[in-house]
This record gives sequence, structure tokens and C-alpha cells, in this order.
Amino acid sequence: MTAVTAVASPPRVRIGGFSLRERGTGATVLIAAVATAFAVVLLSATAFLSASISANPHVGESRTFAVVSGILTSLLVGVAVYVASIVTANTFATVVAGRVRQIALLRLLGSTARSQRRDVARLGLVAGIVGAVAGLVGGTVLSFAGVWVLENAYGIAAPGLELIRPVLLVPAAVVALTTWAGAWAGSRRVLRVTPMAALGQAVEASTQELSRSHGRTVAALVLGASGVGLLALGVVVGLSSPYGVLIAFPGGLLSFTALALGAHLVMPPVLRLIGRLFGRSAVARLAAENALRHPERSSRMAIALVMGVALVMMFAVAGSSAIGVLVASAGGEAPPEMTAGFTGFTTVMMALVAVCGVIAAIGVVDQLALGVHQRRREFALLRALGLSSRQVRLVVLLEAVHLVLASLVVGIVLGTAYGWAGAQAVLGSVKLTPDAAATLVWPVIPPIPLIVVIAATVVVALVATVVPTRIATRTSPVAALAQD
Amino acid sequence: MDDSTTPPPPAARVAHLTKTYGSTDNPVRALDDVSLSIGRGEFTAIMGPSGSGKSTLMHVMAALDAPTSGRVWLGETEITGLGDTELTLLRRRRIGFVFQAFNLVPTLDVRGNIALPIELDGRAPTALERARIDGLVESLGLANRLTHRPHELSGGQQQRVAIARALATAPDLVFADEPTGNLDSRSGAEVLRLLQTASREHGQSIAMVTHDPIAASHADRVVHLADGRVVADTRGQSAEEISAFMTARELRATEAAS
Repeated sequence: MTAVTAVASPPRVRIGGFSLRERGTGATVLIAAVATAFAVVLLSATAFLSASISANPHVGESRTFAVVSGILTSLLVGVAVYVASIVTANTFATVVAGRVRQIALLRLLGSTARSQRRDVARLGLVAGIVGAVAGLVGGTVLSFAGVWVLENAYGIAAPGLELIRPVLLVPAAVVALTTWAGAWAGSRRVLRVTPMAALGQAVEASTQELSRSHGRTVAALVLGASGVGLLALGVVVGLSSPYGVLIAFPGGLLSFTALALGAHLVMPPVLRLIGRLFGRSAVARLAAENALRHPERSSRMAIALVMGVALVMMFAVAGSSAIGVLVASAGGEAPPEMTAGFTGFTTVMMALVAVCGVIAAIGVVDQLALGVHQRRREFALLRALGLSSRQVRLVVLLEAVHLVLASLVVGIVLGTAYGWAGAQAVLGSVKLTPDAAATLVWPVIPPIPLIVVIAATVVVALVATVVPTRIATRTSPVAALAQD
Repeated sequence: MDDSTTPPPPAARVAHLTKTYGSTDNPVRALDDVSLSIGRGEFTAIMGPSGSGKSTLMHVMAALDAPTSGRVWLGETEITGLGDTELTLLRRRRIGFVFQAFNLVPTLDVRGNIALPIELDGRAPTALERARIDGLVESLGLANRLTHRPHELSGGQQQRVAIARALATAPDLVFADEPTGNLDSRSGAEVLRLLQTASREHGQSIAMVTHDPIAASHADRVVHLADGRVVADTRGQSAEEISAFMTARELRATEAAS
């Protein structure tokens, strides 16, 4: 890591005070690497499948497979990159927020806001490029390892397979550029820092973030309404034709985008509700109030995790609901090979979209640490006033649980709704009995994926407390209170 | 020894206190064999130029930092050698703090900030504490600010909230670290008057660290520190006298150096 930093951060980046050593950039590099590696492995996997299908004398070359796998790969990589750029934007917004005084001082000394913002964005580009290159290498190594295992352990041959292809550079470039874009979007706040902030009091200026843009709220509402409308229409059309899913699908995409845009509308009420569950003790209140201190930041941090959970649950519920219909249509006993096929497909899809959850989790872990790091003085004050180190740990743990629990609940609800809508749109026109009009699909939540998702988020919450706890308990009250 | 002439035990006491920072090759001696008692019910100012060791002394006495050698008592309790949890409980229950800046928790409103040390104890305020808090809120003029957050208050108001918090538990000793350092002279004078009142009318023991002669002149007693040692211990000095004393010392130090 240090070698990478030394090579990749030219002195210019440090003029603005931002370097790759900045807290938060490590996670950005990691996220870019995971997204790129995911794309590389996915592209290699489809190349492998396509090569082994072509080698099969009974099937021969399949254009349909190429087209379908191409679309699927683009969609999956697209969603992963999307989630990654939300997380990146949020990381950079948090970094900038913790640096307001320093930025203000530089502004006071004559630096322009635009050049400050360019510095931040450039750091994003550098982090994106470093991550993309690491992901390219890592993904290629993983692909070679995977092919070796498949060929040697399972005897599946893929003649003529090329794993190192120019096309792999496309996702790498996309990731590097979206990381840059995410950093740019997240650094918007730099523009609002006035030189006066350098002279201001040490008290945090505002609990509510002021950037509630109306355009964004309107866009979220419009997109959300049309998305839900299309979803509903798709479900209704699906009662008579399986093509309902073609209407429901864009509805799903639109409402999902609305969710990302309108996170600041959806998440704060949920966070408030869950915060209330913790009770009224001082420790619980300190933890719960924190998630609402920067509602916009917490919401975006949570929404990435919501998306990961929702995507996994969507495939889980869609698959199980579809199997439910299969069983019913077969009169109680579905053909085992069909059930197995469905289960296999949804399991693979769940594993693939889980990458989004991993990316979001990295973001949560990193941003909680950033938040605590930026509040060292507050923890020092609390320690001086008599917060024991056990209580410090509890505050940090509750903070992580708060965010993760809110994301989990919203994600499961949304995932179930999306999964059911998809299954209903596809299967609504299946006639269970010759004279039946249409089929109402019951949403089935399969227990094993649900347990896995809950367990994974519990792990995220626990991992997310490790670094912040260390920061919060190791800060000596004297040192933190002495610094200005 | 006659019991009737025994003075009450001091609010806090340190004996042969030494604190060194830095490496063993190049140690910086912040405190150099300091012995001192803080009288019960008194308002004591600890004065000195920056680097005199006054902040270090306060941190050690307030159980925020450990001395290199020497012993520290709060009331009858010796705090040197106590574990982190015991020190935490001690600070929570028996010590009050007013800092120069960043005194309040930004996510809690005024009421939450005042009651914080009590609530950290995992209990509701007792009837006595409630009455005391109500009285403080009233006399500090915070009654219509109880639901405000710190960022909605002026610097002087924030400092008054911090004072209410420090006095709410009627602690053995209140430490005030440059409490007027960030305030304009009017709010500063008001804060000093409030501390003085707490001491005179309610017998609250207060130790205030400051480098400002005017702030120190509000105290009953002024302890002067320089280069980690107690160099003078005076009572009833005016701001001018304190200022003159400091200037004289500085002059002598400059002459000695040249």
C-alpha cells in the first residue's frame, strides 16, 4: 500500500492537502478494485461458458447465449458500478466535511474553491485508476485460477479461450471514470465552504445539512411514481400475458434510481424509528442521534446497503415464488429438474448481486470509521465527563447496528416487493387450471437466503465497529481537548 | 492537636507531583515537584504563562492524565493508581468540567447536555439534583433555551450551559480550563461572576486555570506557576497586582537569561 501511494500520488495532489493517505481513499481504491475484478471475472466466466458451449458438437456456436450473457453482464456490472459510485461520492462528501476548516484556511489564504474541488476530484481519479488496475490484475488472476480448477478438477474444457482480452479494459476504464465522477459529485460541498469557516467557533455549525436540493426531491418523486406505476402496470398486464415483465422491468429500474436519489426522504424516518428502539439511556441517545446528525450522509450510506440487500432478496423471493407456482401448476409436485434449474439460476444471481452488498459494506465500514475519527474531540469530551470505555464501545456498536438494521429492514421489504412483482409479472398469466383466469403469485421468502443476508449484515455491523472502537477508546481526552 | 482548629480536608491535594513528556534522552519537565492543596469551598485560580504546566496540573488533578511521579487526592480519595473505570466514575460523579471550547455535545439539546453526567451514570436525576438543575437553569437564564442545540447558542450561552452541567452534580471540585478564553469581555465577566457566586453562595470548590489576570482576580486565591513549579501563592490580589507580579517575574527571567 505504501509503495502504491508513493508512486501514485504526485506532489500536486498534496498541494490541496489531500493525498492518497487521506482516510477514506483506501476504501475507495478497494471498492474500485472489487468492482473491476467483478467485471473481469464475469466477462471471463461468460467467455469460458461460450467457449465450452462452442466446443460441444451437439450445440455448436450460440449467438443467443452471447447476446443474453452480454446483456446480463452489462446489467450486473452496471449495478455494481452504480452502487460503487454512490459509496464513493458519499466517502468523499464525508472526507470533505471533516476537512472544512482546512479547506477554509486554504481559501482564506487565496486558494479558489474550484481548484480545491479539482484537487479532491483528482484524488478520486487517482484512487479509481489505482483500484481499477489492481482489480484488473486481481480479477485476471482469479479467472486463471477458476479456469484451472474447472479444467483440471471438473474436466470441463474451453478450447481457444482467451482470458487476457482488450475488452477487459472497458470495465476498468468505466470504474476509474465513475470513481472520478463519484469524487466530483461528493466534493460539491467544497464550493460552499467560505473562508469564514476557518475563523468560526469549534462548534459544529449545523445539524441539518443545507443541501436539500428541491430538484433532486422532485426528480426522485417523479421517477419513483412512474417506476411504481410501471411496476403495477406490469403486474396487471402480467395477469394476461408473460410480457408484463417487459413493462415491470423498466419500472423496477426507475424506482430503484428514485430510491438512490430520494434516500434522504426514505431513510431518516426509518432511522428515527429504529433509533427509538434503543431506548432513552444516554448511551442509546448519543448513538441514535448520530445517524441523524447528517441525515443525508447516513441515508446515502444506508441506501447502498439497502440496494445490496434488496437485490439479493429480490432474486431469492422471485425464485421461491416462481417455484411455488410451479409446484401448484404441477399439482403439488414440480418436476425436480425444473426446480433445480430455478434454484440454481437464482442462487447464481444472488451470489452475483451480493457483490453490490460487499461494495456497500466496505463503504459502511469505512464511513463509520471516518465519522468516529472526525468526532475524536467529541469522544474526548464525553470521556472527560465520565463516559466509560465500555460505554464508548457501546455507542460505536449501537451506531453501526442502527445503520445496518435500518438498511436490512428496508432492503428486505423492497427486495420482497421487487421479487414478488417480477414473479407475478412473469407468471401471472400461467393458468393453473384450464378454466382459471389468472394466477396470483404468493410472495415466498426463502429462509436460507434470508438467514444468510441477516448473518452477513450482522458481520458487517461487527466488523464496522473494530476500527472506530479503537479510534474512540485510544484517543486520550487530554490530547483531543488540547488541539484546536 | 486540637480538633476545633483542624482545617476541613482540602477539596483536592497533590504531593511532589512530577510530569515529564518526550523521550528519555530529551525529557520536557511539565511539572517539577509540585505540592498544593485546593481548599474546600474556595475559588482557586492557577495562573501562569503558556508552558508553565498549569494545564498539565489540571489534567492530572482531574484524573484525565497520570503523573510521572507523585500522589494526587480528590477529597479523601487517593486517585493515583486507580484504574480507568474507577477514574471514569470519579470524573462522572465527583468532578465537574468547563473547557475553553468544544464544551457541549452537538447532538444533545441544552437539557440533555446539562443532565449528561447524571444520565451517563444510568439513572434519572434525583429530586435534589432536579431541584438543583432547575435552580441553575433559572439563575443562568437558560429556561427558554432548554430544547436548543449548542449551535443555536452564542458562545456565552454555551459556556453557561457548561457551567450548569458542571454544577449539576454538586461535585467535589469543578475544573475550569480558560473558561473565558473564547468569550468577549462582557460574557467573560458574566461567566466569572457565575463561578464566583457558585463558590461563595453554594460552597462549591472551583479550580480555574487561566493566564488572564482579570479572570484570576475573581478568585479567592491565586497560585502562580512557572516552569512547572509553584512560584507564588497569593490571596485577594487585584488584576493590576497580579499583572504587575507576572510582568516582574518575566523581567527577572529575561534578565537571568541574558
